[in-house]
Amino acid sequence: MIRRNRDLDRLREGRTELENHYIDELVSGQVSRRDFLRRGSMIGMSTPLLGAILAACGGSSGGGGSSSTGSGGSTTPKAGGTLRVAISQPAAAVNPLTVSDAGGLCMLNQTGEFLIFDSNEKLALQPMLATSWKHNGDGTIWTFKLRTGVTFHNGASMTADDVVWTFQQLADPKNASNALSTFTGVLIPAGVKKVDASTVEFHLEAANGNFPYLVSSDNYNAIIVPKGTDYGKWQSNFVGTGAFKLSSYTQGVGAAFVKNPNYWGTKALLDGTSFKFYTSQSPQILALQGGDVDVVGQFVPFGATSLLKNSSYKIIALKSSNHRELSMRNDMAPFNDPRVRQAVGWALDRKGMVSALLAGYGTVANDYPFGPRFPSTDTSVPARSQNIAKAKQLLAAAGHSSGISTTMKTEIYEEVPQLAQAIAADCAKAGINIKVDTEQQSAYYGKATYGNSDWLDGTMSLVDYGDRGVPNVFLEAPLTSKGPWNAAHFHNSTYDGLVKQYVAALDLSSQRQIAGKIENLLLQETPIVYPYWLDGLTASTPSVGGLNPTSIAQLYLNAAYKS
Amino acid sequence: MVRYILKRLGLALITLWILSVIVFFAGQVLPGDPGRSVLGPLAAASSVKALDHQLGVDQPVITQYWHWLTHFPGTSLQFQAPIGPILTGDLGRSLKLAVFAFIIVVPLGIVMGVVAALNANKPVDRLISVLGLSGTTVPEFVSGIILLLIFSIALKLLPVTATAPSGAGFFTSLKYLILPVIPLVLVLFGYIMRMARAGTIEALDSDYARTATLKGLPRALMIRRHVLRNSLLPTLTVVATQTGYLIGGLVVVETLFNYQGIGKLVVTAATNKDFPMLEAGVLTIGVVYMAVTLLADIAFSLLNPRIRLAAAE
Amino acid sequence: MSVGAVPIESAGALQAGRQQVRRELLGQLVRSPLFVIGALVLLFWIVCAIFGTAIAPHSPYAQNLEAINKSPGGAHLFGTDGLGRDMFSRVIVGSRSILTIAPLATLLGTAAGTAIGLMMGYFRGITDDVLGRFVEAFLALPVVVTALLVTDALGRSDAIIVVAIGIVFTPLIARTVRAAVLQERELDYVAAARLRGERAPYIMFVEILPNVLAPIVVEFTVRLGYAIFAVATLSFLGLGVQLPSPDWGLEISQNYPQVSGGYWWQVLFDALAIASLVVAVNLVADSIERVLER
Repeated sequence: MIRRNRDLDRLREGRTELENHYIDELVSGQVSRRDFLRRGSMIGMSTPLLGAILAACGGSSGGGGSSSTGSGGSTTPKAGGTLRVAISQPAAAVNPLTVSDAGGLCMLNQTGEFLIFDSNEKLALQPMLATSWKHNGDGTIWTFKLRTGVTFHNGASMTADDVVWTFQQLADPKNASNALSTFTGVLIPAGVKKVDASTVEFHLEAANGNFPYLVSSDNYNAIIVPKGTDYGKWQSNFVGTGAFKLSSYTQGVGAAFVKNPNYWGTKALLDGTSFKFYTSQSPQILALQGGDVDVVGQFVPFGATSLLKNSSYKIIALKSSNHRELSMRNDMAPFNDPRVRQAVGWALDRKGMVSALLAGYGTVANDYPFGPRFPSTDTSVPARSQNIAKAKQLLAAAGHSSGISTTMKTEIYEEVPQLAQAIAADCAKAGINIKVDTEQQSAYYGKATYGNSDWLDGTMSLVDYGDRGVPNVFLEAPLTSKGPWNAAHFHNSTYDGLVKQYVAALDLSSQRQIAGKIENLLLQETPIVYPYWLDGLTASTPSVGGLNPTSIAQLYLNAAYKS
Repeated sequence: MVRYILKRLGLALITLWILSVIVFFAGQVLPGDPGRSVLGPLAAASSVKALDHQLGVDQPVITQYWHWLTHFPGTSLQFQAPIGPILTGDLGRSLKLAVFAFIIVVPLGIVMGVVAALNANKPVDRLISVLGLSGTTVPEFVSGIILLLIFSIALKLLPVTATAPSGAGFFTSLKYLILPVIPLVLVLFGYIMRMARAGTIEALDSDYARTATLKGLPRALMIRRHVLRNSLLPTLTVVATQTGYLIGGLVVVETLFNYQGIGKLVVTAATNKDFPMLEAGVLTIGVVYMAVTLLADIAFSLLNPRIRLAAAE
Repeated sequence: MSVGAVPIESAGALQAGRQQVRRELLGQLVRSPLFVIGALVLLFWIVCAIFGTAIAPHSPYAQNLEAINKSPGGAHLFGTDGLGRDMFSRVIVGSRSILTIAPLATLLGTAAGTAIGLMMGYFRGITDDVLGRFVEAFLALPVVVTALLVTDALGRSDAIIVVAIGIVFTPLIARTVRAAVLQERELDYVAAARLRGERAPYIMFVEILPNVLAPIVVEFTVRLGYAIFAVATLSFLGLGVQLPSPDWGLEISQNYPQVSGGYWWQVLFDALAIASLVVAVNLVADSIERVLER
């Protein structure tokens, strides 16, 4: 005990106030080991240091958020060979500025790298092209030290100029940049500054405690490209800094990559990789079963029972913040009464949904966007489980003892239509009769502005939200008064204030404290019902190992092998 | 003959132009816009506007149509790449599939039809007819799924996808196409067989066939010389009219077997409001359809001098 | 239908003759075993389509998340699907969408095609040329693309699919009708009507139409088979009938990945249902064609 503390004291020396605060939280048991790793890596504490601190507090430094099943047995890494991977077809040009779909962003990460890697497996930020990062004390200026000795696939070496150029393009409102939805109000092009050849500063528009996430692999558009890159032509050469470089790319068919012999890090084990594109999930699963591919990059459990049931395949399951939101129009009858909205929450059999729709690969959610992926989640708030009597009682109290009838708009995407059916079936038991209107995504999203979108205008609307490393987007866009995706039309100034505090908060205990307040407020109001959190799933044949997927459909194959 | 062909070609050009106008203006009423479909539903409105401007789709429809007409085939909005190579690649793959299907189904259908006709109302005829009818009635997606599950998943004999690995030889590519071709063959077989059977029965029944038999012409020779030629005519027409249908069937087969052909190209383009791509795909299909119809008409007149070309139009 | 061989008859005699022919045709049909089998199967599905919810033992939409993927037998004759819904009830009720959409679409296509074909064949000349170009243009459009454009523009509802398939059928039927009218318009009774000073619409729809009904009826029955095929295919591609309908094509597209996991019953019965319906319609169409063209 004494020795351990002495170790810790030595480690504490020279640490900043914030870093010591985190160590305090860890020692006092306020944060788990996994959360500590995550938070520590975010403020730039090195991995060996974090490991040493954890060791000093006892136990191993491992904090895995992943589980791997299947009786493939242990495989030994083997060099050489080509790995065949099935992924969704990129929906548009593979342009780092505009990519917005799973297939496209998986292509970006085959040759491109980020400043920081957000590891779902470790649930922590890891250095990639940046070796360290720190802020100026209040989170308004962030300084990144870049890795030296890194060369692009075209032979040029990577310097601060390239990083500055990349982020100026991404943050420029004149560009058709998909990253603008992340950077608006946070970063403008003039805020990106070169300090020296290997140091870059980001001067933010407002304090942001989670900024490293915004330049990490979470922001999938943010791969570092050479200064002066013509983004429209990027798909002809895929120039990045990664362990693989482009061999060929065939629109709509597939892509092939070869090992980069000049890679700055550990060189890839495989000689090359070959990707096949698919427009739907079923043929991908059949391709794995039929032996046409070795890996299915990302899939959802619905319709994949045959794979999940069969123990001869390896399944990698990552805890993710991928979820569905059922919003109800808070400004329109019958949902302008919070009791009616709460009744919907109590009517759902979430456990049944997770086991039937997700084959168990997910976590029951409570009616707020804090879940198992986020360390700031206040887990002391009691969960809602199905209680039809309570739902009926709430409806009656709201003056609807004979039940209500309404409609729900939803999209054709993964298991969402089936979830809509399950929600409607559960609600019917409580006397809430929902007519489900399932639409193609283009029709459902419409122009994606208020008044021109079934998604944002529907009385009830069920939509999917992809994985994010921090809950900021989930808290702001669909719930704040000025949020652009507020399909619930929820306006609550107390809530808006709490979210502002949450985003600016720099340490975990205060974030968690605010999170608890937000959770209770949202449970009381229930503007949106959250059925569950989905796991990110990747499947492979038993002979494949070393896969490193993320829950936003990226797939790093640096350490992958086929034995 | 030359004048007839020139006239047909002229008419085909007009038809293609009408087709391009229909598709272009039909595309204008579709919801959503190209910028939005590239950037996804959650992108900022300003980014979408910037991209739409970059792609030129914020200009008046007439300007856009003129630009398209003068820059044919142009650049794909969705993929920001020239359409030419994408289109030829996809068309080539589809043609491979379609030609393979026709090579199997046309001789098979005609031979079976003639055999059925020669044995009219006997068990052989019944068997062939029932086989033909059942093939025709099962939609491609049903037969395709059954074949996939049996031969690829359960027995692991044939590949799941139709796309052969790059650099595969001719016979390897053929192996990848076997499963996808069967649903197309099944559906077409019934029609071709029925037409061949009906044509043969009619020809056998005709005056000249009876005369030939009376003249003492051997049956085999008579069938080869008179009956076959006359039964081929209606069959050819069926083959031509089925081209349009075959392309519809290709969409299903290409989807099921993950084969990037012209069917998938057109569906993707329509879904994403990629007008230049959609136009190029639809016009290509139109050209193929009209060429095949014209060829069938010419062949028809060559095989049957009694039919005047003027009457065929 | 040989040209010039029809004697001039009074309108009354023609009418009486037609009725007698109709009775004879019906007699011939009923005597054909293939027609009877086809008609009975078709009738079975029509009954299911109309009274399906009453016949089905369970609600086709009732989920039971505790009884998912149950194999056939016991309480569930055809097993249950991934949401625990009764497959037997879903197959029975699934007949409704396809048997509503396919006949309506065929009817729409036949009506529009007949009108256009009559005009093209009767007026010939510039009308024929202009309409002919449009007919050709639409013939070159694949069914799936037409359906995609129509459903994307107007939304995805059963009525829109009727319109989409109707549009696809219109040029096909117009072409057949035009060919028949071209032969009819040279006949004496048309010339007589024109001499009497009848107006063009009257001659087309009252004089000519009844005489070209035979090929139209044949075309209708043949197209009906195609329409069923087309509705199932569009639903399979996600362009046709939408969830939560238990439509057969949609069911197959939703459930087929499950089959490799051993849940064959979630696809087999829907497939058999589609096949039996298309076979039945084709048997009926074949018999009618044979009788009318004899």
